[in-house]
Amino acid sequence: MKRIPMPVRVLGLVGAASVALTACSSGSDGSDGSDGASAGGDTTFTWWDPYPQHEDGSDWDKRVQACGEEAGVTIERTAYDTTALTNQALLSAQEGTSPDIILIDNPAVSTLADTGMLTTMDELGFDTSAFDENLLDAGVVDGDTYGIPIGANTLALYYNKAILDAAGVDPATITDWATLDDALAKVAAAGRTGITFAGINTEEGSFQFLPWFWGAGADLRQLDSPEAVQALQLWTDWLDKGYAQQSAITNSQNTTWEEFLTGDFAFAENGTWQVNSAAEAGFETGYIQLPAMDGGGAPAPTGGEFIVAPVQEDTDRYETTSQIIECMTTTDGLVQTAETFAYYIPSTAEGQEALLAEHPELDTWVGAVQDAKGRTSDDLGTDYPLISEQLWTAVQKALSGAATPQDALTEAQTAAESATS
Amino acid sequence: MTTTRRPWWKTGLGLLFTALMLFPVYWMLNVSLTQTGDLRRDPPHVFPVAPTFEGYEAVFRQQLPNLGTSLLLGLGCVALTLLIAAPAGYAIALLRLRGRGPLNFLLLVAQMIPGVVMAMGFYAIYVRLDLLNTLGGLIVADSTVAVPFAVLLFTAFMSGIPREMTEAARIDGAGVWRVFRSIVLPMSRNPILTVSLFAFLWAWSDFIFASTLNRNGDLIPITLGIYHYIGNNTTQWNAIMATAVVASIPAAVLLVVAQRYVAAGVTAGAVKD
Amino acid sequence: MTTISTRLGSAGSPGRDGSTPPEVRRTAPLRRVRSTQWAALAFALPLLAYLLVFYAFPLYRNIDLSVHDYNVRAFVQGNAEFVGLDVFRDVLTSATFPTAVRNTLIFVLVSLVFQYATGLALAVFFRTSFRLSAVLRGMFLVPWLLPLIVSASTWSWMLNGDNGIVNSALQAFGIGQINWLTDPSLAIWSVTIANIWLGIPFNLVILYSGLQNIPGDVYEAASLDGANAWQQFWRITFPLLRPVSAITLLLGFVYTLKVVDVIWVMTTGGPANASTTLAVWSYREAFGTGQPDFSPAAAVGNILILVALAIGLVYVQLQRRQEKQP
Repeated sequence: MKRIPMPVRVLGLVGAASVALTACSSGSDGSDGSDGASAGGDTTFTWWDPYPQHEDGSDWDKRVQACGEEAGVTIERTAYDTTALTNQALLSAQEGTSPDIILIDNPAVSTLADTGMLTTMDELGFDTSAFDENLLDAGVVDGDTYGIPIGANTLALYYNKAILDAAGVDPATITDWATLDDALAKVAAAGRTGITFAGINTEEGSFQFLPWFWGAGADLRQLDSPEAVQALQLWTDWLDKGYAQQSAITNSQNTTWEEFLTGDFAFAENGTWQVNSAAEAGFETGYIQLPAMDGGGAPAPTGGEFIVAPVQEDTDRYETTSQIIECMTTTDGLVQTAETFAYYIPSTAEGQEALLAEHPELDTWVGAVQDAKGRTSDDLGTDYPLISEQLWTAVQKALSGAATPQDALTEAQTAAESATS
Repeated sequence: MTTTRRPWWKTGLGLLFTALMLFPVYWMLNVSLTQTGDLRRDPPHVFPVAPTFEGYEAVFRQQLPNLGTSLLLGLGCVALTLLIAAPAGYAIALLRLRGRGPLNFLLLVAQMIPGVVMAMGFYAIYVRLDLLNTLGGLIVADSTVAVPFAVLLFTAFMSGIPREMTEAARIDGAGVWRVFRSIVLPMSRNPILTVSLFAFLWAWSDFIFASTLNRNGDLIPITLGIYHYIGNNTTQWNAIMATAVVASIPAAVLLVVAQRYVAAGVTAGAVKD
Repeated sequence: MTTISTRLGSAGSPGRDGSTPPEVRRTAPLRRVRSTQWAALAFALPLLAYLLVFYAFPLYRNIDLSVHDYNVRAFVQGNAEFVGLDVFRDVLTSATFPTAVRNTLIFVLVSLVFQYATGLALAVFFRTSFRLSAVLRGMFLVPWLLPLIVSASTWSWMLNGDNGIVNSALQAFGIGQINWLTDPSLAIWSVTIANIWLGIPFNLVILYSGLQNIPGDVYEAASLDGANAWQQFWRITFPLLRPVSAITLLLGFVYTLKVVDVIWVMTTGGPANASTTLAVWSYREAFGTGQPDFSPAAAVGNILILVALAIGLVYVQLQRRQEKQP
């Protein structure tokens, strides 16, 4: 053969390099849980969760593996990003390859349960009485409980103390919408932007809007009630008056937080998961419960995952599955979960007490979670996603000026009614 | 290669165009070095004024194996695409395969199917063939983006190979395979390199197939590796951009090397009277 | 002159066999022809098998999804009700359909025109090599190797109405804040701009290769005849490039029709459907809401394939017509 041409030589080098790189990884990874294909495949249980940021060897992963070992099996854990997990679960259920355990965002539980792919907690022989009802309710469909919340987080109003001091605002005086608007006006007068939130065209947008929606007293079954219009009017006014920026329309919650961290915003609506980041910010921060329209704390929606057990062909596996679930949801276990995920509030009263014993500064959050509501509660179940889609669309229309709040919500209600009929 | 009449102003203009085109890539670099607190600063810093290397630290700690996997994927996809498409192009263009008209049309139709549809269909197939979470399976899936296009390219190019050459060889007693190996392939260096380029790039930047079919593999490509930094409610943008920057470097090197050869062979090749 | 034009004509267009050489051999023995056909089949077999397994099956499933009512429960349990064309009817009469069609038209046509024009201009620019031209040409492909989430995110950062670099630059010229991604009337144009950027490398590579197929003697002859650069472009380059242009535009159309990631990352189709194209709509129905709606998603996907098919047929017709010309 002739002399090997240059591109081939380059390719050869690259090929060698890539093999070297990948070989490097499997060598240095040590014990990663995915080598669970031990002899006798029955001792491997598959586990899916939406935490790709906690890779093999992290604290969370070690806990999961520890619970598996306690139950006498090896857990093979796969992390998906949360938006893909529901569909992946459905795809696998269709093919009959469901994993043994899934941790899934709480509004999706009823969707999965409705397809018949989940076992009920009764079938698993698991006692759910210790868990807070307002949190458990998200996983209840037709009276059957389909999963256990491993913790809950919710939203609150973070503030930038430096800006508030400069504007002469005392956060303790913010108790309802009127006082909030006053505070925002003072901040604007001092030359800063008042508030940032996430109005994005996805479930996150609904999530952020719900405290205001519920805080006005509106109900998800009636999207065009006067209360709902007032809530949407609040947000629209903020944009019109310049208390919030246009980018709120496309902000995700993460973007909202990044904006807050620049130090230019007085308030940010965000969740418990940013508590650590808030403490490390370049300015002093604090948080208050989101105010309801006429005073008091607004019911905020619960975030947080449920642990669910898909139906398996081999029903003997359920016993082990139940053990694993129990291991994850002991009081200690719940506190550990809480700390791993930057303050998920435990879902049992005992767990909450234990958490407060170690972190008394979280009492605002514990209070918020106790007041919170699951999005699929109130028997909304699988109707919730359909309603939510209309809600966030209406929010987008109003905020972008494409429609007035009243018109947007009326359209949304019509669409929601036809979708859920 | 002999027109050096106006080199400098063209080079200058070329640099300007490239700079404009690559500005978003520069911005990516900028973000990769920006601290989280400065990410949404208004007005934004054009240069990373207070740079942080935490994104790059994360990448070098965690993403290098994924880089290797992506490279393997790209090369595997190239190999598979060439293996399937080159002979097919030969059959259509020079062996006058019966039914080549409808086949060409089918290849066009194949490219019209949205990626999501393909991914869901593959999931069903792979579950049954037990190909989920395998690198080989992913290579095959990635190649579906490249193969129809590659066949089109090969067919177009091989149609232009003068009949006299192949007929002469046949008269001399060479079999069909011999003609392919000794005459057609060497002359096809141009499309081979172009197809390799496309196949590599498509496999390199694929996300949808990797996400649906290879989540739990031991080896995941860099596009999935990026999602490592996208948590449930938080996202580490500087790490994501750093990953992209680091991932671009080997691919960019390959690109520049390959580009020299893509068009260079034409005038030097045998397609001349 | 005829040899050049026929060779060029055949080099650029797929599916054509090239002109038959003057000495047409009608006396090829039948046995030879048949064995060539078998050989051809053998060479094409991997492709045929590949097409069958990897394209026919997903396509079949998609059609299946669109003619049944696949709510989530039916999807998992596999017992969906056959509803014929009902899903298509719902899709076509839904309020989102006209918006999606309009946005798709804008997105695809504007992207195509600008991607092609820019790619062509750059290809002509790079045609005659100069110092660094190979390196620069290679660098132009860099946008292509970035994962889409990264490029799309970078663009959405740059175009952010409040803290994006584009607005900062415009403000330096005295232009007020433009809400690229949040203004309902601008959103579709913003994603189109990003998409044009993404599509330039592809066009550049193909058109550049096509240009390389045109021998330099043609240009030299034309210069000797006194043609200036502009005339050379319109009278020589553009017509000779026609088959390559046709396939570039066709493929560009097909690919742009399928684009989801760019729009999804930048605006998720918002605000309120202002940047939702048919492809984005299909994706959102299947993956963007809490309640996956696979049947409408599949139906919209099939509509997309049909549109692409129609354009493909137009292309083939044009091809045939050109083949008939001497």
